[in-house]
Amino acid sequence: MSTARGVVRRGRPLRVLPIVELGCLAALLVVPFVLSERPDLMTLMTNVLILSMFAISFDLCWGYSGIMSFGQALFFGVSGYVIALVGRDLGFSHIWGVLPLAILTGTALSFIFAMFLLLGRKTPTAIFVALGTLTGSYAAERLVSGWQYVGAGNGLSSVKLLQLGQYEFVEGVAFYSLALALLALVYLASRGLMRSQFGLVLAGMRQNEERLAFFGYRIQVYKALVFSFAGGIAGLSGALYSYHQGFIGPGNMGPGLSTTAVIYCLFGGAGTLIGPVIGTAAIELLSYFLSDTAAIRSFWPVILGLVLLVVVMFQSTGLLGLIVSTRERIGSYGARMPRKPEA
Amino acid sequence: MDDARQPSSPSRRRFLSGAAALSTAGWVGGTATGWLLQPKWAHAAGPIKMGIATDITGAIAPSGNANWQVAQFVVEQINKAGGINGQPIELYLEDTASDPKIAVGNVRRLIQERKVNVVLGGITSAMRQAIKDPIVNRGRTLYIYPQLYEGQECTKFLFNTGPTPAQQCDKLIPYIIKTLGKKRFAMPSANYVWPQLLNKYARKVIEANGGEVVFEEYYPLDQAEYSATIAKIKDGRVDCVFNTVIPPGLQPFVKQLHESGFQKNGGVLACVYYDENLLNYHPAAEMDGLLSCLDYFQSIDDPFSKQLQVDYAKKFPDTKYLFTAGSAATGMYRGVKFYEAAVRQTKGDLSREAVAAAMDSAKLANGPGGGAEMVPGKYHCKMNMYIAQCKVAGGKTRYDVISKSDMVDPREC
Amino acid sequence: MDVAVKLAFDILSFSSVMVLIVLGLGVIASMMGIFNFAHGEFVLLGAYTVFLANEAGFGLWTGVIAAPFVVGLLGLVMERTIIKRFYNTPIIAMLGTYAIGLVIREIVRGLLGGHYKSIPEPIEGAFSIGEMNFSIWRSLIIVITLVVISASWLMLARTSIGLRIRGSLENPMLARSCGISTTSLYALTFAFGSALAGLAGALIVPLYQLSADIGIRFLVQAFLSVMLGGVGTFEGPVLGAAVVGMMASGLPWVVIPVLADPLVFVIALVFVKLRPQGFITVGRL
Repeated sequence: MSTARGVVRRGRPLRVLPIVELGCLAALLVVPFVLSERPDLMTLMTNVLILSMFAISFDLCWGYSGIMSFGQALFFGVSGYVIALVGRDLGFSHIWGVLPLAILTGTALSFIFAMFLLLGRKTPTAIFVALGTLTGSYAAERLVSGWQYVGAGNGLSSVKLLQLGQYEFVEGVAFYSLALALLALVYLASRGLMRSQFGLVLAGMRQNEERLAFFGYRIQVYKALVFSFAGGIAGLSGALYSYHQGFIGPGNMGPGLSTTAVIYCLFGGAGTLIGPVIGTAAIELLSYFLSDTAAIRSFWPVILGLVLLVVVMFQSTGLLGLIVSTRERIGSYGARMPRKPEA
Repeated sequence: MDDARQPSSPSRRRFLSGAAALSTAGWVGGTATGWLLQPKWAHAAGPIKMGIATDITGAIAPSGNANWQVAQFVVEQINKAGGINGQPIELYLEDTASDPKIAVGNVRRLIQERKVNVVLGGITSAMRQAIKDPIVNRGRTLYIYPQLYEGQECTKFLFNTGPTPAQQCDKLIPYIIKTLGKKRFAMPSANYVWPQLLNKYARKVIEANGGEVVFEEYYPLDQAEYSATIAKIKDGRVDCVFNTVIPPGLQPFVKQLHESGFQKNGGVLACVYYDENLLNYHPAAEMDGLLSCLDYFQSIDDPFSKQLQVDYAKKFPDTKYLFTAGSAATGMYRGVKFYEAAVRQTKGDLSREAVAAAMDSAKLANGPGGGAEMVPGKYHCKMNMYIAQCKVAGGKTRYDVISKSDMVDPREC
Repeated sequence: MDVAVKLAFDILSFSSVMVLIVLGLGVIASMMGIFNFAHGEFVLLGAYTVFLANEAGFGLWTGVIAAPFVVGLLGLVMERTIIKRFYNTPIIAMLGTYAIGLVIREIVRGLLGGHYKSIPEPIEGAFSIGEMNFSIWRSLIIVITLVVISASWLMLARTSIGLRIRGSLENPMLARSCGISTTSLYALTFAFGSALAGLAGALIVPLYQLSADIGIRFLVQAFLSVMLGGVGTFEGPVLGAAVVGMMASGLPWVVIPVLADPLVFVIALVFVKLRPQGFITVGRL
């Protein structure tokens, strides 16, 4: 195992993560003031926030509970479709109604998937779960792309704008602020959950599933709960995406987008919550500015592939692993941090 | 480089782009201003900014690149002739990557970052529907859609310059039924909105002319096996297959149809988006006898069209992206020219209300396949339509024009 | 009657295509426990080899024969450099091979310029029995599939190298202590699986169009076939592929095509859930 730099010292360990987290928050808070003249970059940054939530939802599955989900986009996409349909057929898009609906959709759907894939008499293999999510996402993409009612291959466009009272959210500072607030909420909720006793069980599972099972923990139930929680987050981000882009299509629920989340998360650093945010921002910004160069534009997916390959082969802790110690990534749990971190 | 990295200084940015416009640069690629074709001179009022949003990469890249090349070609012609009222056109390209979910992001760049006056592009219906909202509604910009399509797009500030189902079916189907005597139609289709609405219209025309639709069926776009379909064609004694299957599902379908001996037994394959580009998609034998109906074929004997091809070939020697109808290139040509005509009329007023009002009754005397004119209040244009048949000679395929119809009405909106 | 014969032929021919594609994937998954997400791209490379050989004027047959060797060699190199790191972590292996696949696919897409290329069959045309026409190339694919299955089976079940492979699969530690070089066997197996993918690509490309997505289209179906048949056996994936192939080409006769397509996945997945060990449980290789 590779130990990262900037690590455990005698006495109190240097805490890097909170610094990174605060740095990111500060940067994101400054954005609207710096970029107010550039609506295109505001749109881009709002997109980064929304996709960050999506990347976090994947990270909760993979980085925290070892479920390889190749189908995270399924919850993202279905939820995006649901709110687009609610807008189209019921003419309803009030924020107090649609965002809970989106979360509910994501949670319910992922819970059904978790029941099917994770629970049951026989413990499923990790490979079955991975391929199951992949298949679900793929089959859904194909079903939707043939289903007239939901726009078939065309998807749903001109999604009704998100409303707060009479106010309508178009892309820009207001939408950005909304997305940032929601991302902060999602982040804090996830952080709270992962740092609680519940998170400790997950950490134990990552170390040794069998041993934890012998202690009497019902591993699969824990996994199913995390999977459903993550599905809710994916649903929320899918709905926001749909409102923000004004469009949702079959491609938004297929394995293509699911694997993009994998790349965001692994590149930034799986197993931390700020990693996916950094990964999403890094990849989306690079993609935006590099796509101006013709030579890079055509081979951008190749570059993404190489990045993923390098990460899984040499740097499994991602960008964040370069500055955050293993000890700190694993974190501490419960109300109080134990006094003696390491022998 | 500079403007991208220094978003906070718009004045500097504007200054830079002005300076670049004064320089003699023809092609400016690279990071500074994206894909941009700048004129060689400046105008007091600044250039007219034209955004092209088309599929440079991905599944429909061949058509998208043809669109982009034709846009460059026409704009260069206009600029060489002194621009529009002396104002040059500046072209901006964004790649829609054959993927609506990427496109909605990139199209916004044209509107929000480049602040273009008009957007042309989009090839598939899915693309049009995805990008029209960011352009027309949220972006408050004029949009011109160049491809043949399923009709029923009556959005204000969205002009369509490609053929509609009426233009494609009104002449072709009577020809198949009355002249060729084929009455039993099959409609195998890719499952998206263009085939569905086109078929709906075609069915009406078929039934009105005494024909009969044996079946109408929709497949996933990349379906690889059509044995069930072929069997239905055989069982139903179909004698005309009105095909709207598209690549990648297309090639296996045409192959399996040919293998079943459909054409050998006197069946006719009609496919209304087939142009010169698609000739190389299939082995020659499978293409023999195919019927198509479009606004332009390269074999049309029209001096203006012939000259266009010569000039196009001069600008893009040995290009693999042809100037054809099915790839929306002719629609792109008409779109740019209509816009030019409209802005000439508004005397340089670029507000979309003024331009749209002028465009509503714009006329083009010439173009690929002949002139065209907007039908006032309808957002569509009349144009000449040609029925052509694919012929194989010495292993090479070509289209022979069978008939020409003048100024066919789009019958939309 | 005619329809029934034609139906049987079409289903058989598509099932053969599926079996060809799945065979290589199944061999690698069963022997090495790696689900190769780049398998679709190995199929693509096989197809691309035929295209290149034809463009260069060597002819289609040269391409078809060269494809398995070219792709097999590439598989060997890839195993030695990348795949070998993933043996203990099957999930990471999925990500790694996915990345490899993405890189290959997008490079080929760039090389093809996004175009679809039509590749003619090495033997064109059809033969007819009575009223019915049968494509010669499709018939040939059925025959070749049968030959390849038998040859692979004979190799694994009847030769000493097959014995060693099976031994290393059963108990790698013991195999190593018996003096069997498991590393070189793994490399060989991976190369063999890749070669099969290359052959599949070369054979099926005339039926479809060459595009960068020719392989990935079959990937999820291929995974399901392997799971359906049972990982760890030779016959399982073959049987699974045949069943998936039958469903994929048979269902459009029964339900509307658009629904038939996702239905295949759902049925297969539910079956795997209910019977995770697959069709074949006894007589594992």
